[in-house]
Amino acid sequence: MADASSLLLALQMGDSAFPSGGFGFSWGLETLKHDGLVHDGAGVTAFARAQLRWRWACADRPVLRAALAAKGDLDRLGALDREVEAMSLAAEQREGSRRLGRALVRSHVTMGTPGAAAFQAAQRAGRVLGHLPVAQGVVWGGAGLDVTGAEAVSAFAVAAGIGQAAVRLALVGPVEAQAMIADLRGVIATLLAQPCPERPHAFVPAAEIAVMRHESGDARLFAN
Amino acid sequence: MTAATTSHPGAARVGIGGPVGSGKTALLEQLIPRFAARGTRLAVITNDLVTREDAERLRRSGLIAPERVLAVEAGACPHTVIREDPTLNLDAADLLEERFSPLDLILLESGGDNLASTFSLELVDHWLFVIDVAGGGDIPRKKGPGVVQADILIINKPDLAPHVGVDLDAMVAEAKAVRGDRPVLVTNCRSGEGVDAVVEAIARDVLFDGAA
Repeated sequence: MADASSLLLALQMGDSAFPSGGFGFSWGLETLKHDGLVHDGAGVTAFARAQLRWRWACADRPVLRAALAAKGDLDRLGALDREVEAMSLAAEQREGSRRLGRALVRSHVTMGTPGAAAFQAAQRAGRVLGHLPVAQGVVWGGAGLDVTGAEAVSAFAVAAGIGQAAVRLALVGPVEAQAMIADLRGVIATLLAQPCPERPHAFVPAAEIAVMRHESGDARLFAN
Repeated sequence: MTAATTSHPGAARVGIGGPVGSGKTALLEQLIPRFAARGTRLAVITNDLVTREDAERLRRSGLIAPERVLAVEAGACPHTVIREDPTLNLDAADLLEERFSPLDLILLESGGDNLASTFSLELVDHWLFVIDVAGGGDIPRKKGPGVVQADILIINKPDLAPHVGVDLDAMVAEAKAVRGDRPVLVTNCRSGEGVDAVVEAIARDVLFDGAA
């Protein structure tokens, strides 16, 4: 088990109360519910498993890892950002990732996290786009999280975010959501034990189609 | 003016909160042309809860350039997006300032909420809370944080008082009693009656301009 200070740092970075805007995003779940394609806990769990296995583990994870390794090198971070931009098919997915990246960095700038202000300045100058996994690598690295901690917090945030969105969409109850997240912890642990892909790639077509359909849909509790 | 806990450069930010249907969007529609007439450079953020209706209503109103209105979705959490985690609204304000600098004022309309709703002073410099007569004459004495803590409390729809059995004078008196020295203004946001006083208060206390 990690030492206490590392564990406390990971708890703070992964706290759903940390101001970073994640509560406003469902990553397609709102539309999938609206279309009747996800209507219960089993559907939410399947959605979350797919997001973790076929998006987070193979796309977000290698980008996060590379962003941590870049140690503030804005040229490398900018190249990572452009790769995420090119890989993100749906407009609300691209914009959502950039919005959340900006929101996360903004909070860390206010807190004085090393590296955050320089990255925000580069964002505002158009040198980097600030996609979420890139921003996470910058600020979590600046805060002192190591690769293991950052990957665990990032993956957990995906699971917890889906669980919270599912509760607010009345797809599951709050305790049922926690039971789902407990199950997903096992999924995350298995993924973390596997080698990290060198190049990011993703395949979550149902979620991507849902995010695209959300752009013109009436159901807008969430930003995507 | 209430001191912000986190200062920020650029435009002053004023929040407008209050229950569903109390008249927040109608107040915005009355405020925008008045500030425009004063030469105030303005942008607006709305926190629609379920749709983009409030943002679209303002964009189509002809009162303000549509691109100066941004909608921020609240993820079904109208409290959170203006208080516990205002980062999405802060990001929207940053974008408006980048695109339309220099701005003097950003008005930020909350999604319809309840009497416990308050704005974080990390998000806004000043905030208004709008209640309406038809919501019940007893609202002020319930001492909700929105009613008590807002920089300005607005009681809207006074013309409905006789139709809903509310004693308007007593409602205003109770509002003043629970708020101490903080102002209570009465508006009719359909006719515009009383709105000039809101503009004057914002101009004086937020824009530091006495020439309203």
